[in-house]
Amino acid sequence: MSENLLLVPVFLPIAVGVLVFFIPKMVKGVREALSLLTAAIAFVVVFLIFRMEESHLFISIIEIGDFNLHLDLLSAPLASFILLFATGFGLLISLFSASYMAGKERYKEYYGYFLFALGGTAGVFLANHFLLFLIFWEMVTASLYFLITTGEPRAREGATKSFAMIGASDACLLMGVGILWFLNRTFVISDINLPAEGWLPVLAFLLLMVGSITKAGAVPMHTWIPTASEGAPASVMAYLPAALDKLLGIYLLVMISTKIFVLGYSLGLVLMIIGAVTIIAAVMFAMVQHELPKLLSYHAVSQVGYMVLGIGTLTPIGIVGGLFHMLNNSIYKSCLFLCGGSVEKKSGSNELGDLGGLSRSMPITFITALIAALAISGIPPLNGFASKWLVYQGVLETGKGGSFIFLIAAMFGSALTLASFIKVIYSVFLGQKSKYTEKVTGDSGFAMVFPVVVLAILCLFFGIFYRFPVEQFIAPGVGVSLTPMGIWESPLATILLIAGIALGLIIYWIGRAMRSVRTADTFVGGEKIEAETIRVEGTYFYDTIKELPLMEKFYLSEEKGHFDLYILFGKLRAWITGALQFLHNGILSTYLSWSLLGIIVLLCLSIFLL
Amino acid sequence: MNMALLPSMVAIPLGIAFFTYLLARKSSILADILGNLATFSILVISILLIKTRGVYVIGGWNPPIGINWVLDGLSNLVLVVVALISFAATIFSTRYMEQYTARYKYYSLFLLMVGGMNGVILTGDLFNLFVFLEVASVASYALVAFGCNHEELEASFKYLVLSSIGSTLVLFGVAFVYGATGYLNMASIGGIMATGNQNTILTVAAVLFIVGFCIKAALVPFHPWLPDAHPSAPAPISAMLSGVLIKALGVYALFRILFNVIGLNQLYGTLLIVLGLLSMTVGVFLAVGQWDFKRLLAYHSISQMGYVILGVGLGGYILATGGSSSVAALAILGGIFHLANHAVFKSLLFLSSGSIEYSTGTRQLKEMGGLISIMPVTRTTCSIASLSIAGVPPFNGFWSKLLIVIAAIQAGFHAVAGITILVSFITLISFLKVLRYAFLGELPEKLKNIKESPALMGVAQAILALFCIGMGLLLLPGPREFLLEPAVNALIQGVEYARIVLSGS
Repeated sequence: MSENLLLVPVFLPIAVGVLVFFIPKMVKGVREALSLLTAAIAFVVVFLIFRMEESHLFISIIEIGDFNLHLDLLSAPLASFILLFATGFGLLISLFSASYMAGKERYKEYYGYFLFALGGTAGVFLANHFLLFLIFWEMVTASLYFLITTGEPRAREGATKSFAMIGASDACLLMGVGILWFLNRTFVISDINLPAEGWLPVLAFLLLMVGSITKAGAVPMHTWIPTASEGAPASVMAYLPAALDKLLGIYLLVMISTKIFVLGYSLGLVLMIIGAVTIIAAVMFAMVQHELPKLLSYHAVSQVGYMVLGIGTLTPIGIVGGLFHMLNNSIYKSCLFLCGGSVEKKSGSNELGDLGGLSRSMPITFITALIAALAISGIPPLNGFASKWLVYQGVLETGKGGSFIFLIAAMFGSALTLASFIKVIYSVFLGQKSKYTEKVTGDSGFAMVFPVVVLAILCLFFGIFYRFPVEQFIAPGVGVSLTPMGIWESPLATILLIAGIALGLIIYWIGRAMRSVRTADTFVGGEKIEAETIRVEGTYFYDTIKELPLMEKFYLSEEKGHFDLYILFGKLRAWITGALQFLHNGILSTYLSWSLLGIIVLLCLSIFLL
Repeated sequence: MNMALLPSMVAIPLGIAFFTYLLARKSSILADILGNLATFSILVISILLIKTRGVYVIGGWNPPIGINWVLDGLSNLVLVVVALISFAATIFSTRYMEQYTARYKYYSLFLLMVGGMNGVILTGDLFNLFVFLEVASVASYALVAFGCNHEELEASFKYLVLSSIGSTLVLFGVAFVYGATGYLNMASIGGIMATGNQNTILTVAAVLFIVGFCIKAALVPFHPWLPDAHPSAPAPISAMLSGVLIKALGVYALFRILFNVIGLNQLYGTLLIVLGLLSMTVGVFLAVGQWDFKRLLAYHSISQMGYVILGVGLGGYILATGGSSSVAALAILGGIFHLANHAVFKSLLFLSSGSIEYSTGTRQLKEMGGLISIMPVTRTTCSIASLSIAGVPPFNGFWSKLLIVIAAIQAGFHAVAGITILVSFITLISFLKVLRYAFLGELPEKLKNIKESPALMGVAQAILALFCIGMGLLLLPGPREFLLEPAVNALIQGVEYARIVLSGS
């Protein structure tokens, strides 16, 4: 009986998603309510599954010779723990969307695809059959595409690119699954375990790795995320690229690195290099962005680097750290995207230069964004620090001489992240008001504020009590016990930090009360200058980075797409097409000679070979 | 009892074609009614015939002298597919063809083509096959040129020349076989081949058949007529040509003769695999560069036919080399299922392109944009068909491609599987391009006042879209047993066909 419960989080959202398409246009509010209710039921059921014993559901569907496809669902501890988060995000973002998507032109389809993505995600985490896994995986990809198309007209670029790139990685995944079948003669995930040695297993691992890092968005398969952020609804960015796609991609990476394959040092090193390059390259791009969603999306890429780096260490603590960072990142990154959406909805712009001074008119959004920004920058005692700390230890534990380079890259990346978020916080919330932010009078409504507050609280909770999730759920899920880690008593440190901040505030207030300050109008060259014209934009300070000698070339080639596999592949494809079109000159006699040639070749072949 | 219905599959379209030409000159509504009635009745009959197997002897003259019609698993499946697509195309035609004159001629030619195809599918006699091949082909030359613009006439002429060469080669093949064996009946020839009689004349005949049918099926390098001919025809005809004509006249006939009459050997198996891979890759790379919507679709037909040939050829190769018969069956199942799936989604894509052309007056993707808000029905059906052809689950194209890929891997052909997946990916890119330029983005200024195409056209599209969504269910054990598996078995039995047909008559 209890195993039938596994069907609910997968098929309920899909069924309701189909239903949503058939609700007539006139009916209002039902879609939102249905989606919220479905996400809530899925969340509760997943919680029950998570608390249950590991259960297994098996229904045979297709069996043709050696080919089979079964509805084979298994609630492994790690998978159901991550799924709990996935459905939680579904619930929060569904609530946010109810207010955020209201009034947008194509919100009607939005909830259908939203629920498909939720059901697909649940399917991926519960599937114990690789083809079933693949089908649900692809379903999430397709839902992402359609969700992005519900944005502005210019979102078509990002939607197409996302589907194309993830589609390519899904193709790799299918090939990898096929090779795995060839090596093991089974599609059952829990039955596969082989050492990644010899060219075929290594090829299979690399193909599956491409599938996972593209979904998660690591260099060099990351470019769909920044492009998608241009024009896609903020809730979509928070939901898929920031949260669910990370969970899916990194989950698969952990599965193939720990359960499905037994990796050697060199493949681990490949992962570590991908991770380190991702951290640094993406954060460099993030620093110079002017558009809030695009900046956030580059950070979404950069953070994946820590997860891949941690998993690449192949040490228990690194893998656990990578997984924990995945959860933390989904929390603060979707919080940031949702805050961005909230600001955009209120002010009508997401250009950093157009914003400013929102801290007073949107205090809750400000504080939550600040917490999330500090968390992503790895400031203790927030969750980003806790997981980065584990990743650092994992890197150190590999013990090889080169590991210092990775450590430095990771820490440097963290510093640059902080630098980048100082710009965001300053440009959006501090400084002077702009013509967009003047008219903003209050914070967003409950539906948009509640989810970000929950996420910010989770940032704090997972930072201060990080041992609880790590030791209770993640480490047992991976099947390792952690050796005692470096001394980091987060609760104690938090108390000390709070005390320090309080002391600083007291000194600041005392100083402010004792000193008298006079304000005067700006007066230059005999003329009064309007406050508006001397407004300093946060983005301005960071433009100098673009002009640094080496960096200049780097950014220039990035703008031209030299690092973008999508564009490079497009050029190759166009060249092949061009060559073929050159052969098709439209002249009948050419075509006739091809046929003639074909006949001659076939005749020779069959007469001489038979 | 059901066998008595078999002749009507050919008699109804041919008969109504005649009466339409005679009676419906003045009234285009009567032409519409007659056309739809004919396709609807053959759809009903083909469904009634699903479980029937047997041989129908024309005029009581027993083979090898008389002509027999054979209804086995494979012909059964292809008959249903042809009838379904024809029905959807005639529904679509009722409103779409308002742009043209002489509707009675249109429906007569249409039904002649359908009758010819059904004849090719059913016949058990080589010369009879050639006759029906010509009936369907000649009708299709005229239909491609139906608009009578210079572009259409040029395309039709190219098609006529290349396709006639194909027909001639087939005729030569028939003559050679007759000369070598003294029979025209397919089963009787197969009986001789089964005794292992090797003869150079028969080998030459086999090559002539392969080339002739490859031209009809538009496989690379015999394909150049297709990208001109298919886009030039009116949309429902494009749907018929790409959806079923190249399959019935080309692929079906090729499989029937290679597997059941000549008997497959390793060389022919390899040949089919190579032709399949070549068509898949060349077709898809040419398709993705097109900006004319229908021309893009036409190139994809070449590419998708490659999948069918590859799947079945792979199965044949495995059988001929004595590999695992369950893997061979899987490959053939993938190929045959892809044939049916391609018929459905490609016809739907051509109907969608017709619907867009009807509303916007253009086929150029660059002149469209933002149709998402104006043409919701076409957008939905076109998206479903695009995802199907790109192989996105749970739509039908995914299942057949998956079977082919898995079969290739099980047979140890990793590179073949890799190419198959790569082509599928480029197909995805090319349809993302279609969706992006046609439906997403900003609506161009001059398309501000257009409307969604008429409801009846939407109905035709919706029927096919439902099949795109649901056809994956055919793989479930129950439905598989009475539609797909018999078709696969009909090919696997090879030259056993002769014994079954001759004992049945």
